[in-house]
Amino acid sequence: MNALDALGASPVKANRLKTSSLNNKMVNDYWTDVFDAKKNGRLVCWYEGVAINPLMQAADIAWVHGEAWSALLAARNGEETAQTAAEGRGYMKELCSYARTHIGCGVMAQKRGAEASGSSFADALGANQLGERVPAPDMFISAYPYCSTGQQWDEMLFRLFGKKIPIFNISVPWVWGNKKDATYLGGAEFKEATAFMVRQLRECIKFIEEQTGKKYNWDKLSEIMHYTKRAGQLRMEAMDLCIAKPGPASFFDWTTSLAPVNFIPGGPAIVDYFEQVKAEIEQRIADGEGSVPNEKYRLFWDGIMNWNKIGWLANKFAGYGANMVAGRYTHMGFWHEWDPIDVKDPLEGMAINYLVCPINLSAPLMIEEIIKLCRKYEIDGVVLHAARTCRAFSNPQYLIADAVQKRLGLPVAMIEGDMVDESFYKDELVNSRVEAMLEAIDGRRRVGIAA
Amino acid sequence: MSRDAIFSAFEHAAEQPLESARAWKQAHGTPVVGSFPMHFPGELAHAAGCLPVILQESQEPITVGHGMIYPFYCGYTRSVVDQACKGDYDFLDAIMFGDHCVQVLGAADVVRAKLPNTRVHFYQLISSMSDPWSLGRARETFLLLREGLEEMIGHPIADDAIHASIQLFNQNRALLRRLYDLRRAGTANITAKQMQLAVKSSMVMDKASHNALLQQLLDELESSSDRQQRGVRVYLSGHFCQAPKLGVLDLIEDCGGIVVDDDLYHGTRYISTDVSEQGDPISALAEWYLARNLKVPCPTRVDQNADWENYLLKAMENSNAQGMIVLMAKFCEPHMYYYPEIKEAFERHNMPHLLIETEHELTALEGLRTRIESFLEVVKRQANAQARRVAA
Ligand code: SF4
Ligand code: SF4
Repeated sequence: MNALDALGASPVKANRLKTSSLNNKMVNDYWTDVFDAKKNGRLVCWYEGVAINPLMQAADIAWVHGEAWSALLAARNGEETAQTAAEGRGYMKELCSYARTHIGCGVMAQKRGAEASGSSFADALGANQLGERVPAPDMFISAYPYCSTGQQWDEMLFRLFGKKIPIFNISVPWVWGNKKDATYLGGAEFKEATAFMVRQLRECIKFIEEQTGKKYNWDKLSEIMHYTKRAGQLRMEAMDLCIAKPGPASFFDWTTSLAPVNFIPGGPAIVDYFEQVKAEIEQRIADGEGSVPNEKYRLFWDGIMNWNKIGWLANKFAGYGANMVAGRYTHMGFWHEWDPIDVKDPLEGMAINYLVCPINLSAPLMIEEIIKLCRKYEIDGVVLHAARTCRAFSNPQYLIADAVQKRLGLPVAMIEGDMVDESFYKDELVNSRVEAMLEAIDGRRRVGIAA
Repeated sequence: MSRDAIFSAFEHAAEQPLESARAWKQAHGTPVVGSFPMHFPGELAHAAGCLPVILQESQEPITVGHGMIYPFYCGYTRSVVDQACKGDYDFLDAIMFGDHCVQVLGAADVVRAKLPNTRVHFYQLISSMSDPWSLGRARETFLLLREGLEEMIGHPIADDAIHASIQLFNQNRALLRRLYDLRRAGTANITAKQMQLAVKSSMVMDKASHNALLQQLLDELESSSDRQQRGVRVYLSGHFCQAPKLGVLDLIEDCGGIVVDDDLYHGTRYISTDVSEQGDPISALAEWYLARNLKVPCPTRVDQNADWENYLLKAMENSNAQGMIVLMAKFCEPHMYYYPEIKEAFERHNMPHLLIETEHELTALEGLRTRIESFLEVVKRQANAQARRVAA
């Protein structure tokens, strides 16, 4: 059948993992806890970028992860008010939409004054005032890999709140990898970068001690990292199982499973979650059940997620019989390098994960990892989501497209969208580019090139 | 040489930077090292016996580059990628850079991919300036740069050689600052275009030659006295990696503005701070890197001790500027981030400013003319009203 035939068909629904919904409760509980933090005498830290939340959790500080928060607002249709507030202060539309959304919340919180934190999550949700009522920060920690926009996002919040709230900056070196000994996770440059990160993480812990006035609880950090490591491992094992055909889960399932390895507190619940996800996947494999009803194509997603469109995109690709089996965002980050984490002394392992997050490797190293994934998951084509306001993810995409085309002969589709600014998404373009790619895959099959 | 001849020498280098670097290489056999703008010290490459050249946005339309970078990037990064794709950088012996803006990082990866036979090295400068380790980290980065250059030329670079280069570069900055002083004081009529050519040519020319030209120019300007110009005194702010289009600068003056000062990279930012000529030269460069950001705060850095908006308000006062024109390169994220801070501060101080977004593809100047004219009109009226208030 031709790829285009799928178009006219009645809307197909992706067969999403049932266990993913378990994470909704976790997410709700987490935000409920954050909104109650001040009432319970806990400090609140705002941060973005890599998952440094275990550092805060061990000190009993509550945390608001900017991207997670912006994505949540988008998922609950609450992003617009925040974006408008940011625009009102002069932040332009071309700025990172995550940052704009989060800074917009800052602008609103400023207008409301210090009592910005007095509402419960349920009340704020009910009043459709999530953005406005997110608890104001007592500190900022910035640890943004690769993207200058990320580091400046924190700086702008710091300035927005009158430079009065303490901020700590961790500078994450980009892994350029030019030296002869440079490999993924290896070589002198990587070693030095890891050591520099560890030095800064230690300083950061001193900063946390100053804020809380308490001695840092290293045992607690070890305990948290024990669960985090285990969750990371289970997630990777579950994703590995998706080499099965049909693929039992999709990239879209994995994006909705990011919260537990991104910002949910490290504890038994996140381990339990991934055990259940893995069990569901094993069951699906036993039953021959795929994440799309009729898997004809196996695709790779490069780029950040489009949170406004996640369900929509999952169904759209399912409609083509296309299973988005893996992606850079999901498979090359979020404690995916769980193995080097020594739970007794976790800083180095944490630093390694921060350094190899999905944007912080320069193109040659990143491309090798993508090629490995494409081979492993027997990918037929690559979709590159050019998120308009996330240049960090968009940067290497022409090089990636070129490499997978030349080295693996894979057709690609470059599509435009954004993380949380819906206006950048162009549906017609997406359709025509994706269809052209699927046609090219069909063409290759006809002449017997691909599997 | 006459004033005009000197400016046309500057113009030749500034407008054909690669051409002029290539010619220098041919004539002198000097290796040419390209770098990205904003923060990288040319002193070290110079001390290594190379000609350091800050890679510039080209005026050429972007063609092949379209296949390697999305259109929603700033003109500078798109142009650099385009030049790399067109083979314009093939004659360079090395490209060594280390800036932090995310768009530049994207360009860096493409440049390396397009120049497989060239040393394309990245030495990332710490961009968080007020941390206890900022200075040490900057020093470590400059040490690595020195090592990279030594590896390239095959022998160590002596401290004395670095000191000598530092001295030469300091002279260059001091001479250019004198030019600025003359303009600020109004004793020399130097157009915004001429000012840019003087600074931009310094980024790509041999420093000793540039110094000699500047010295001649200053001698001439300081001995003659230009008639005081009349017009609205304008301060120009913005534009980081790329030089503002000359047409835009001319237009501002054409509409009745006189540009009295700026914080442009192709302007004051580039020449603001000298490097200490004493002691360990690598430490001196690291100190220079941090000090610079306090002198003229840079929106591509984060620095708790620097406030760009306050700097601008002060600079306006020092140069008796009546209004500020902000030139923002479209898609420039660092600028977009800091702009609201400036906007708020200027509104608070009742100081007029006009934001102009610029693009690589030449902006329609006619539309711009109307905006600039009406802005200058507002500034003039406000200045007159103020003068009347003071008189009364
Ligand atoms: S542009 Fe992308 S990587 Fe940078 S801060 Fe925004 S979401 Fe993060
Ligand atoms: S700082 Fe601005 S002009 Fe320079 S590369 Fe970045 S986006 Fe472009």
